Amino acid sequence: MAFLLLIFSIAPPTQVQAIDKPNDAGSAIIIEWGFSKDDEAIEKYVIFRSTLPDTMRVKIGSIIRGNNSFEDDNTDDKKQYIYIVAAVKDDATFYSMPSDIVQSSPQFFNTGRTNILVCILVFIILLVFFVQRARMGKKLFVRKIPGLDAVEEAVGRATEMGKPILYVPGLGDIDWTATIASMNILGEVAKKIARYDTPIIVANRWSVVYTVSKEVVREAFIEEGRPDRFKEDYVRYLTEAQFGFAAAVNGIMLREQPATNFFIGRFWAESLIMAETGAQTGAIQIAGSDSVLQLPFFVAACDYTLIGEELYAASAYLSHEPLLMGSLKAQDYGKLIVFVILILFTLLSFFNIDLLHLLEVQ
Amino acid sequence: MKWYEAISKIDRRIIYLLLTVFVILPFFVPFKIRQNIMPQTQRLFDFVESIPPDDKVVMISFDYTPQTMPECHPMAIALLKHCFARNIPVLGLSFDIQAPGLAVEAFTTVVNELNLKASNYDDSLFYGKDYVYLGWKSGFTAAVLDMGESIAGVFPRDYFKHPVDSLPLMQKTKNYKDVAIAIVLSASAYPEYWVLYPQSRYGVKVGAGLTAVMAPKYYPFLQTGQFSGMMSGMKGAAEYEHLIVEKGYTKKLGRAETGMNSQSIVHLLIITIIILGNIGFFFSRRDQKQS
Amino acid sequence: MKRRIPLIICFAIGILMIIQFMIPHPISREFGSTVNKWYIVLAAFALVLAIGNLIRHHGTKIRRKKTNWPYSIVTLTSMVAMSIIGFAGGVDPKSLYQTIYLNVLAPLGSTMFALLAYYMASAAYRSFRARSLEATLLLAAAFIVMIGFMPFGQYISPRLPAFAEWIMKVPNMASQRGIMFGVAFGSIATALKIILGIERSWLGGKK
Repeated sequence: MAFLLLIFSIAPPTQVQAIDKPNDAGSAIIIEWGFSKDDEAIEKYVIFRSTLPDTMRVKIGSIIRGNNSFEDDNTDDKKQYIYIVAAVKDDATFYSMPSDIVQSSPQFFNTGRTNILVCILVFIILLVFFVQRARMGKKLFVRKIPGLDAVEEAVGRATEMGKPILYVPGLGDIDWTATIASMNILGEVAKKIARYDTPIIVANRWSVVYTVSKEVVREAFIEEGRPDRFKEDYVRYLTEAQFGFAAAVNGIMLREQPATNFFIGRFWAESLIMAETGAQTGAIQIAGSDSVLQLPFFVAACDYTLIGEELYAASAYLSHEPLLMGSLKAQDYGKLIVFVILILFTLLSFFNIDLLHLLEVQ
Repeated sequence: MKWYEAISKIDRRIIYLLLTVFVILPFFVPFKIRQNIMPQTQRLFDFVESIPPDDKVVMISFDYTPQTMPECHPMAIALLKHCFARNIPVLGLSFDIQAPGLAVEAFTTVVNELNLKASNYDDSLFYGKDYVYLGWKSGFTAAVLDMGESIAGVFPRDYFKHPVDSLPLMQKTKNYKDVAIAIVLSASAYPEYWVLYPQSRYGVKVGAGLTAVMAPKYYPFLQTGQFSGMMSGMKGAAEYEHLIVEKGYTKKLGRAETGMNSQSIVHLLIITIIILGNIGFFFSRRDQKQS
Repeated sequence: MKRRIPLIICFAIGILMIIQFMIPHPISREFGSTVNKWYIVLAAFALVLAIGNLIRHHGTKIRRKKTNWPYSIVTLTSMVAMSIIGFAGGVDPKSLYQTIYLNVLAPLGSTMFALLAYYMASAAYRSFRARSLEATLLLAAAFIVMIGFMPFGQYISPRLPAFAEWIMKVPNMASQRGIMFGVAFGSIATALKIILGIERSWLGGKK
């Protein structure tokens, strides 16, 4: 009798709503419901689906009590569905009323990413504005970056000593922005090398980075009017194995004794292994990375370190190209805008005005 | 060369030699340092301590590799010892292809050690009854979600090719309802995904054992209660070893303790040479200023 | 023309990929996936060039008997042997390829990784000198963190471990986030500069 009473006392979930999942590629429906009044007493909610015109219920999943939404990510955009949610306790099931008919569909614009679109547009406007100003001959101030000022000296030293320069463009593949920034710096360093006629060794971990860096160095030699001085052996492919690569670079440093080592790009745990070996050979070392965890190692073992965004400013700084200098200014203003927004939104949140959700990306 | 010049320019080979001696020393001259137990390790220990014996299983996801073995393997050993000492059945599984060999090694080491000490049949540990290792599975997300419905559906056979349904432990362990906690031992992002998928959908309690480098990233998970405890690096493993020894579940401390001893005295060595270097630097600079 | 074509391709694909990021429709996803497949195909071609470079470099070294040339024989033999073993016996978990990988390459990698302990000690000794106010602050913070995380730390002061953790969680995390902000902006700026053709160093110059 008590058992029967318990069964009859369980209330089913209420107000089952099924909606097409927004901002997706289709094939997904979100089901939401009001908690069963006996949510504390039940075990879980089970979700059933009927595909019209057939009305047969099929179980598609379950979720523990305390939850009131479920995503069905296996729907056909051409079909219509009805959902029922049931509260389950032991072997007893208590069904809700069915939802309205729903159909999934893909969307053409992810509204959850509007904020990114706005940011990109604002940034492009800033970029174009400052590049135009630079084009008109407006002088832009850029603070001194000792690591980049030392590049000229480092190349000159290698030339005087008659020793090669080692350039490691990081261990990231070409899809890391740090690697791309490194390619830009390599272009500037290679031009100086072509001018001084100093040998360079560019050690690569990834095949695509190898082909890109080879072209960058070759183009720099052409740009300096010395294509005949470029040697295929200047740019080398070593291995994809992380520590195998570190061992190979150490081998180059110990055997060929480069006068200057550049470690510029994305690095992981191998950073200190390479930088400390370089320090032992007595080479001038210039490092640059956006890997926050590796920066302390570079600071400890290298003569100069480009920290974070200095890496991205390097090609503008080295080339003195007004257009690139203009882009640095745009970058600074972009950062200023974000700081102002963050501080403003945080202050507003103290007054229960929550705008921080506008910064969330889906 | 003056004395202070000498201490500010110690040859690196001397440092390497000292380091080697200091690393090896604790293996030959064992000593015990009282570990200060971090709150996250204590929380994980207390959670396992609160699980009733012979009831739900502790699920251990072995997701570490040979490279991170020195930090994560002692965690696995300490956890297994704790669970078996309290008669809590253990269910092992892996999502990292390099892990199964290490998982089997951990089970074998602990089970052999405990069975040698067992005085009768009831004290002994048996595969299928007290522990099961399901092996490796690809497709992490789908697998961890499907286990919420049926573990046997995801792993029809265990690592040793036994049909999972034929094992007594698995007959009473159908899905996450029968799992007290899932503890993920890893050097990568697996613990985060255990929170994201099985915990948010099925309410699974999640604990973690992480390498020291990864651990800081996961502190917020402890604050929010999404992790029911965490061991952080070799120190975390050593702390867990201390906790199970203190509670009397085992008499001997494990490998993490020795590793921690090496680590601690190497840190002392580094601090000492840094101080020496600075003394030398200070006197050299004073000399330069005077001259 | 030689410069203009890569610039046009870069601009077009760059803009299309930004648009692709905004559109969740399956057609857009299909485009994104096709571009990724193209990248894989290009990488495969690049690998042929890269291996060609490896063979040429070491081949020349062996032929001319340059310094340390026997090491080049080891490199080339290992490469050829592993390729043959992989192609002939497969790469299943129990294959010879995997056995060599796990028992030779993995321990060698771990050995290199372990060298880090030595290098950390020598780098710390050399660089942690109180040369300036900033360096002294860094030195002090490093001492507190190192001692705080050691089991001995609690004997010096029971508050030391908590203070060390505070340094890691608060000032350390704050400075890391500052750097990360800069990095994020730098990345966006670099990407846009390349897409818009403002940055051309990767093509060898400005012209």
